[in-house]
Amino acid sequence: MRRVTDIICVFRIQLMSMRAEAGPFFLAALVFPAAMYLFANAVGGVEAAQNQSRLRFLAGSIVFSLSLTSISWLGYLQLENRFTGRLKLFATLPLAPSSYILGFLGFAFVQAALGTTVLLLIGRVLGVGMRPSIPALTLVVMLTVLCLCGFGVIIASRARSFTEGSLLTDALGAGLVFLAPVYYTPETMPHNLRIVSQLLPTAFAARAVRTTLMGSHQIGSDALALGVMAVATLALAFKMTKWRKD
Amino acid sequence: MTTEETLLEQSQARGTRQMPDRTESVAVRVRGLVKRYADGTEANRGIDLDVRRGELISILGPNGAGKTTFLRQISTELRPSGGSIEIFGRNAVAEPQRVKQMMGITPQEAGVFESLTVREHFELFARLKNLSKVEARAATHEVISALGLVAETGKRVGSLSGGQRRRILIGLALLGQPPLLVLDEPTTGLDPSSRLAVWGVIRRAVTDGATVILSTHYMEEAERLSDRIGIIAQGRLIAFGTLDELLGRLERSYRLSYRDSLDPFGKLCVHYFANFNETRAHVADARLSEYSIARASLEDVYFTLTGEHFAGEETENA
Repeated sequence: MRRVTDIICVFRIQLMSMRAEAGPFFLAALVFPAAMYLFANAVGGVEAAQNQSRLRFLAGSIVFSLSLTSISWLGYLQLENRFTGRLKLFATLPLAPSSYILGFLGFAFVQAALGTTVLLLIGRVLGVGMRPSIPALTLVVMLTVLCLCGFGVIIASRARSFTEGSLLTDALGAGLVFLAPVYYTPETMPHNLRIVSQLLPTAFAARAVRTTLMGSHQIGSDALALGVMAVATLALAFKMTKWRKD
Repeated sequence: MTTEETLLEQSQARGTRQMPDRTESVAVRVRGLVKRYADGTEANRGIDLDVRRGELISILGPNGAGKTTFLRQISTELRPSGGSIEIFGRNAVAEPQRVKQMMGITPQEAGVFESLTVREHFELFARLKNLSKVEARAATHEVISALGLVAETGKRVGSLSGGQRRRILIGLALLGQPPLLVLDEPTTGLDPSSRLAVWGVIRRAVTDGATVILSTHYMEEAERLSDRIGIIAQGRLIAFGTLDELLGRLERSYRLSYRDSLDPFGKLCVHYFANFNETRAHVADARLSEYSIARASLEDVYFTLTGEHFAGEETENA
């Protein structure tokens, strides 16, 4: 019970802190991915007229939104906590570091739910043909958030300065999307990059999101891969977040 | 039943925190504490210290002497390289989470959540200290009143002055009436009236049974608040005792100060003497017309023991 209270308090602190930053959040989580969807459609030419392509663009934009909120935005908040001394406030409390991270994850889920819902509505308004399987989509979004948040926490706990950490989270948040076959098919990528890029978590996430948008539940292997990656990154993130320094 | 026991009883009744063993008369026991950083710097070199339950001790020392490193190890923020720390009989090195349940800590440099209001800040952190909603609300009200922040209750922390933010950090440590307070330079940056308010709050915590360890650069703060005072220099605890005990360490406890009339900038000269007659004799020999004679203070002890000098002053022991 104590642990749940701790997690909820950390979550509430972050949520309340965001009141003044709601504008930038919308810019990062919604406007940018939505614009990327429109851009991909515009440059897609004849291909973009096909519903399959539009579904891929929409799935890509959802993954882009998740990546920005989980790595860039949450990473930024964690860096801010660390380099402005707020993290010390938590460190002075009988609070487990894992509760601090779990509070952040709760915050990330709220952001992800908001961002994904709005992008689905945009897709609907723009006439994308889809029959989203909500339970499967929810599972994929949660696994993606867990996995990507792990990266954000690792960078935030290891960065030597705020600037370094901020640059790394931004680069990773966008890089994981554009280096993976998210907006385009793997065949269009340079041969050497093809295999590596398909192993990125965003590649699994984009494929799984697209599958769920088509109403299918066949996400087993992608969900498993995302789950394994989530466990790995979060295990590392938990290990790296310590209140006591050596 | 003492006030302290009553407080402990109340806290235990709430079942909220790890309370100290009441039979333990020493609140903090430090033995052979060593902190060696990765670059080889030895910030603490074998510190031994016992802090009795219910007393307030101040740690003084020049910048870089190792005060903050010492407090950071007590508050479990830093892992010691050697030695041991016991908080109310518990091993602080092995059980940091448990001992933190008995502590309220104000770090030297900590940030606040600027978007939260003062009330939200206190209530949420009180909940993180395992107080129930009702207790958190009551503790928030109490701390806000004690620190003179009533007018700021509903304001965002970001709109407050530096001194008010510092008071919030002190208030966060006081939430839940922890039996041990570790305050690293709590009044740095506060104006005189805020400093007085904070002193009052700290002294009241001691009256209510808390044990307090604080570091400070202000001699007056140490003199007025402390039961005992420790001086750390070059990583070692070079003196520890009551004010009288520390003053007793000075062989020359009369202080003569005057401005050098031959110096174009009127350099301040300070001399120490064993007794008043010696001091008067020096005044006569030097034919001083403007001077001051005073009994030595904590400041004199500090400068004598640490080998430091007052800014722009020439010191000499007679």
